[in-house]
Amino acid sequence: MSKITSSSTAEYFAKNLQQVGFSSPSKAVLTTLKEAVDNSLDACEESGILPEILIDIQKTGAGASRNTDLVSIIVEDNGPGLDPEDLPKVFGEYLASSKFGRGRASRGQQGIGISAATTWAQLTNASGVRVTSKTKNMRKAVSAIIDVDIKQNRGILKKKETIDWDKPHGTRVEFRIDGRIVLNGDGGLLTYLEGTTLVNPHLSITYKLMDQEARAIPRVSNEVPEIPAATLPHPHTMKLGEFMTHAGLFGKITLSNFLIKGFSRVNEATLKELVKKGVAKGLLTKNLSAISEVEYKKVYQALHEIELVAPSTRSVLTVGEEALSKSVQRLGETDFFSVVTRKPTICDFKPVVVEVAIARFTHLTSEANDAPIQLLRFANRVPLQFDKGACAITKAVESVNWRSYGLNQPKDSVPTGPFVYAISVTSPFIKFKNASKETIDGGEDLVEEIRRALMQAGQKLSRHIKAEGKAADLERKISHMEKFGPILVQYLAKILGAPKARTERAEVGLKKLLGRDASSAEAELEQATSKLQQLKDKQRAKFGGDDGVTPVHQDEVDAAGTPSEAAVEEHEELAARDLKAAALKKGTKKKADPAPDARAKK
Amino acid sequence: MAKIRIRDSKIDITKEAKILCESILSDLEKAKRPVLEAVKCSLDNSFYNSKVGFLTAGDKVVKTELNVSSVQKMTRTIFMLEILLEKLVGAATHTKREYYYIVKGMIKKNPELKALDFDDQPESDAIIDFICDMLEVYREEMNCFANDRGGQTYSKNLVVTETMSDGSTAVVDLSSLGTTPFQPKNKPQQFKLKPKKGKIDFCLVIESEGTANTLVANGMHIRHNCIILGAQGVPSNGVRGWCKTIQDQLKIPMYFYGDLDAYTLQNIFRTLKAGSAASLIRNADFSAPDVRFLGVLPEDVKKLDLNYYDVNDRDVAEARSLKKAKDALENDPFFQDKKNKKLADILHWLVREKKRCEQQAVFSVDPKDPLILEKVIIDKIKRGSYV
Repeated sequence: MSKITSSSTAEYFAKNLQQVGFSSPSKAVLTTLKEAVDNSLDACEESGILPEILIDIQKTGAGASRNTDLVSIIVEDNGPGLDPEDLPKVFGEYLASSKFGRGRASRGQQGIGISAATTWAQLTNASGVRVTSKTKNMRKAVSAIIDVDIKQNRGILKKKETIDWDKPHGTRVEFRIDGRIVLNGDGGLLTYLEGTTLVNPHLSITYKLMDQEARAIPRVSNEVPEIPAATLPHPHTMKLGEFMTHAGLFGKITLSNFLIKGFSRVNEATLKELVKKGVAKGLLTKNLSAISEVEYKKVYQALHEIELVAPSTRSVLTVGEEALSKSVQRLGETDFFSVVTRKPTICDFKPVVVEVAIARFTHLTSEANDAPIQLLRFANRVPLQFDKGACAITKAVESVNWRSYGLNQPKDSVPTGPFVYAISVTSPFIKFKNASKETIDGGEDLVEEIRRALMQAGQKLSRHIKAEGKAADLERKISHMEKFGPILVQYLAKILGAPKARTERAEVGLKKLLGRDASSAEAELEQATSKLQQLKDKQRAKFGGDDGVTPVHQDEVDAAGTPSEAAVEEHEELAARDLKAAALKKGTKKKADPAPDARAKK
Repeated sequence: MAKIRIRDSKIDITKEAKILCESILSDLEKAKRPVLEAVKCSLDNSFYNSKVGFLTAGDKVVKTELNVSSVQKMTRTIFMLEILLEKLVGAATHTKREYYYIVKGMIKKNPELKALDFDDQPESDAIIDFICDMLEVYREEMNCFANDRGGQTYSKNLVVTETMSDGSTAVVDLSSLGTTPFQPKNKPQQFKLKPKKGKIDFCLVIESEGTANTLVANGMHIRHNCIILGAQGVPSNGVRGWCKTIQDQLKIPMYFYGDLDAYTLQNIFRTLKAGSAASLIRNADFSAPDVRFLGVLPEDVKKLDLNYYDVNDRDVAEARSLKKAKDALENDPFFQDKKNKKLADILHWLVREKKRCEQQAVFSVDPKDPLILEKVIIDKIKRGSYV
């Protein structure tokens, strides 16, 4: 019989790095960047610091592995910095996290990602990560290389030195790994950076990717997101084994104390209910250490039979419509967008908030309309870039009938068109399909919640598309008169052999008819422009955004998740007028001189 | 070149066209929106009188006022009218497809006309039809023809005399053609028909041109003093005009033999007998009201034990055909007229039973007898088994 041996967590992950996002050279570069940026953002937010992140990614030579490059990834932040003694734990030890199981909607959760990046660097380039860090209490920064001791699952500090650093505090990490740089597409670095920028309006970011020019994107919000307090788990979200393990954390207290202190939504009334359900009073006063497995199971079952109040939604964090509106505009000029922030809700007994931004960027408009929309998925404000098909967000997008909103949509697919859909799901308990957190494994409740948010945004989009259609139609019709009128007169005269005088009179008559159509259209235009200006002024005062910003606000949305009539009307009317105005301007630009009486009327 | 007349019409097309154009130009001079009027060619403006025998137009008209929506159609109409009139004056004859390409060529050459360009031929065909409806003239009277299919005709006793465009005459003795068909084109109404000898007994119009060819290949037109004509589905203007000419000039019984299904009865037979709602202004010269429905009749299915099958509701075309049949029973004046009650009864039977029987089913009655269809047809005519 072969000998049974045990392995350290680090050994397991070192052999299974593909499970945490290092399955290919291109994914390795992205995952490393992502883990470093996530850590920076989480650290800044924890300390109430507005994050400023510098990123530099370069190809520095050939990689040790076949078909790879040696890639240098540098991420520097203005976060609180780390104490020197914490550096090996953070960068070299698996499952060493300040966030594990805390029930907070932070980006990182388990303490795997950055250690995996260090392992990848070590495995492919024989050297871990170089970290420079300085806290506000340090005069000089500490710089060191950190390796993972794979056998022992602990970090090893190497080449430690103190250096001068002009930053008051912050952390800089430098990985040199085998990888391949992919900039665009679903798994591209630019896609990640744009996504991160979108859902982090408070982030100032400067990045330089290879020989491209450095791009600096300033923040559009000066408010550090208030990280909601951690929440206790809800009993209905746990399996029996988890329930018992959770009890193990509480030491020598009574069962009733454990239930009240260890869970949310459990109180004295719940204990009385438990008694009614057959749990002996004596059991409730028993010490946890004296409770048998059978008794735990009985209590667990009774708890599940009781109707408990749904968990609090205070633990979720939203980007917010205003910030999202501004952030969308950082990514490029839009000619339409709508944002929807749903109220926090409970899906599968977990607090969740869904936010959706649908935008049409002018730089995308000229591209093929047959291409699928660009779908940006976010979980706890982290872009999800792989395995799109299996994600709850993608399922929700596919389940909506976008054709009814005026978009083309192949059967059972995402719609097509020059749109960007950004969908963010925030929850302290997001269920991912794998450790690399690439896809959300959502139940029906979550898919339905995302679907509702999409439909709200879709309603807005639909009005815009319809209004565009009307404007185009109007433009087409006005240009019709200009194109066809002269030919009509010319051929009538030809058939009749009419003298020039008659032709001229008919042309004047035709211009008058044209003038009538144009003047009525111009009157509409004037009225529309004036009302549109009013709305723009109103929006500018509220959001400080550019023209065309048309967010749908939660306070305009009724309980069923549908925007209120008044809100819908207002948005629809103004969007339509905006487009109509543009069409008329375009349509009348080429028009012949108005007839004399039409001018007189003006 | 000589103008060939289809009917004794008093309409002077050029004059009518000029009156119309004068009215439009005059309105434009006054800065008044001109309005074009055309007969409304639709079922809700169709009337059927059994004494007349074909669908006629009611008083409804379609008005097209010049505005941003209609200016394209109105300009295309006048542009096309000018071309048609020019050709008409020179007695030139063209097909609809030729006109499409003539217009295309003019537009391509002259960028100022670019806005008039047609995407495809149906667009230019619709403009030509609109002009004819407006002037209440036949397209053929405008010397504009379709690439008509159908109408392959066989007889051992028919002689056709045709006046050619140069005034000369051509005489065609169909008995000399063997199994090669005589296929009339353009204006069959101007043919002069006469039997070679005595009187022709009947004319048989077969829905399928292939089946007509089979009957001829087996010598039916040799054994019987008849005319056999293949309609090839929904009869074209050429076939309709040809049948009308045979009916009027030879005054012989005319029978139609085709499938037993709603589409055949409603779209093919009704069009042949009474014209269509889309051609209200020309049904008078493009329908043969005396034609009788020889089969396949529901009673034949039973009597001859013909193979039949269920209409497939899931088949879009068949389902649509059944729905149209229901609509026809409710709204089509032809099927509502008591003279056509027996035809309406067949349509009711088809809608109710959801069955259909192909015209070729008779071949299976006696697979060893190649003349079985001929025998059945002759027997039915003798017994008066037709509607």
